[in-house]
Amino acid sequence: MDASTAFAPPVKPPSGGGRNLHRFANPGRFLRLSGRVLPFVALPGLVLTLAGLVWGLLFAPADWQQGDAVRIMYVHVPAAWLASAGYAALAACSLSSLVWRHPLADLAALEIGPVGAGATALCLATGSLWGKPMWGAWWVWDARLTSVLVLFFLYLGHIALTRAFDDPARGARAGAILALVGAVDLPIIKFSVDWWNTLHQPATITLTGAPTMYLGMLWPLFLSALGMTLGFVAIVLARTRAAVMERRLRTLLATRARQEAGQEAGQEAGQEAGGIA
Amino acid sequence: MTRKRRRLVLVLACGAGIGSAAALALSAFSDSVAFFVSPSEIAAKAPPPGRSFRLGGLVAQGSLTRLLDGGRPAATFRVTDGRATVTVHYVGILPDLFREGQGVVALGEIAPDGSFRAEDVLAKHDEAYMPKEVADALKKSGHWNPAAGPPPPASTWNTLGTGATGTGATGGAASLANSAKAGG
Amino acid sequence: MTHLTYIIAAYGVFAVIAVWFSATSWTRMTHARKRLAAIDPRASR
Repeated sequence: MDASTAFAPPVKPPSGGGRNLHRFANPGRFLRLSGRVLPFVALPGLVLTLAGLVWGLLFAPADWQQGDAVRIMYVHVPAAWLASAGYAALAACSLSSLVWRHPLADLAALEIGPVGAGATALCLATGSLWGKPMWGAWWVWDARLTSVLVLFFLYLGHIALTRAFDDPARGARAGAILALVGAVDLPIIKFSVDWWNTLHQPATITLTGAPTMYLGMLWPLFLSALGMTLGFVAIVLARTRAAVMERRLRTLLATRARQEAGQEAGQEAGQEAGGIA
Repeated sequence: MTRKRRRLVLVLACGAGIGSAAALALSAFSDSVAFFVSPSEIAAKAPPPGRSFRLGGLVAQGSLTRLLDGGRPAATFRVTDGRATVTVHYVGILPDLFREGQGVVALGEIAPDGSFRAEDVLAKHDEAYMPKEVADALKKSGHWNPAAGPPPPASTWNTLGTGATGTGATGGAASLANSAKAGG
Repeated sequence: MTHLTYIIAAYGVFAVIAVWFSATSWTRMTHARKRLAAIDPRASR
């Protein structure tokens, strides 16, 4: 049988402005393209992350007040950036799923969720490990920390909700709505340190001014942030590829089982499909 | 196409509704979202004595006295926001980052004499990150007194103290002084 | 190095999370590709 018939919802040729988005909607094309791109994302991600962290851990100078505890920043700041950026990507996938019914957006959102939750957990854990020796407290309920904790719970809620329905499409719909509603937390996280007084320090790197950080600390931070971002993208790509192939596998097995039930043919193939399922 | 347009408008309308609802809620609860109150807010409207709250501000220059209270370390210092000042008494160990000119957040209550009795003191870090050599060079060149306020803009100190040695730091300070002279 | 335990703990948490996500996504992908190839060689590429 032809593999292209196995994809559940059939991709209709879209018209107008949606055409560009839907060029990458075909799962077969996504698999080919992502397979080609993946090594060029994963390898630089690994190399840059290691370079940034080794530089930050061993060669960057200690801070005049924080001492060596400043080195936690090289993990914490990229994790915080990825927690927010990952959620923005989740919201973008949800938007294109709800509005344009993009066939890959639901799968991508399903796979971004746990990775983003991991980044948020890393951000919270490393922040806590920095806060204890520097501030004198593992945790405080200021606006920045609380809004990031809310982000973590939004991720967990999305993970649970998308997997709570028997019908994956309904789970994806519910998850997409949650993701879009939760996106209101992103500007709150970003501006919490400016809108309210918090224990957490305001942004060091801003769009408007020069970073208030020594260049010898900024470079390793930049490398590890770039590397971890590429690593995040690579992990999401790999998981989405796996999800597309798993869906194709389920569809193939279901189609095959239906055919066999109808024709009562091919003992051999039946054993194969049964053994794998 | 029209269905897509309609869904997009619907989603955007919901987003606008949720966004404004969140903005209203947060501005209504702005006081409770704030992590601490400043000395000038206390001067304007003092919290009732016996009610615990957090006081935040900078440790005033030259105000810190460390003493012993029954064998335990204790400290008295003034917390200021530039307009008002509150005297703070604290018995316990101050965090590593605590110094004059640094931001602090103290949890406690107003005593009958008008001073603040802290049960807990947290140090607030600022957004500047610099190595010791750069901080020393800035201090030595007279461009920055950490007890008096935040450091000068990063563009003036990013070129300093690349070497971890004392000569590198003094060289950096000299070049900073030169550039300041050239600028003036 | 000051605060060494905190630094080790922070980098350790990072290593655990990074390795766990990389390893699971990689094995999931290769596993799915192998199963797909076993059923239908044309569909796996």
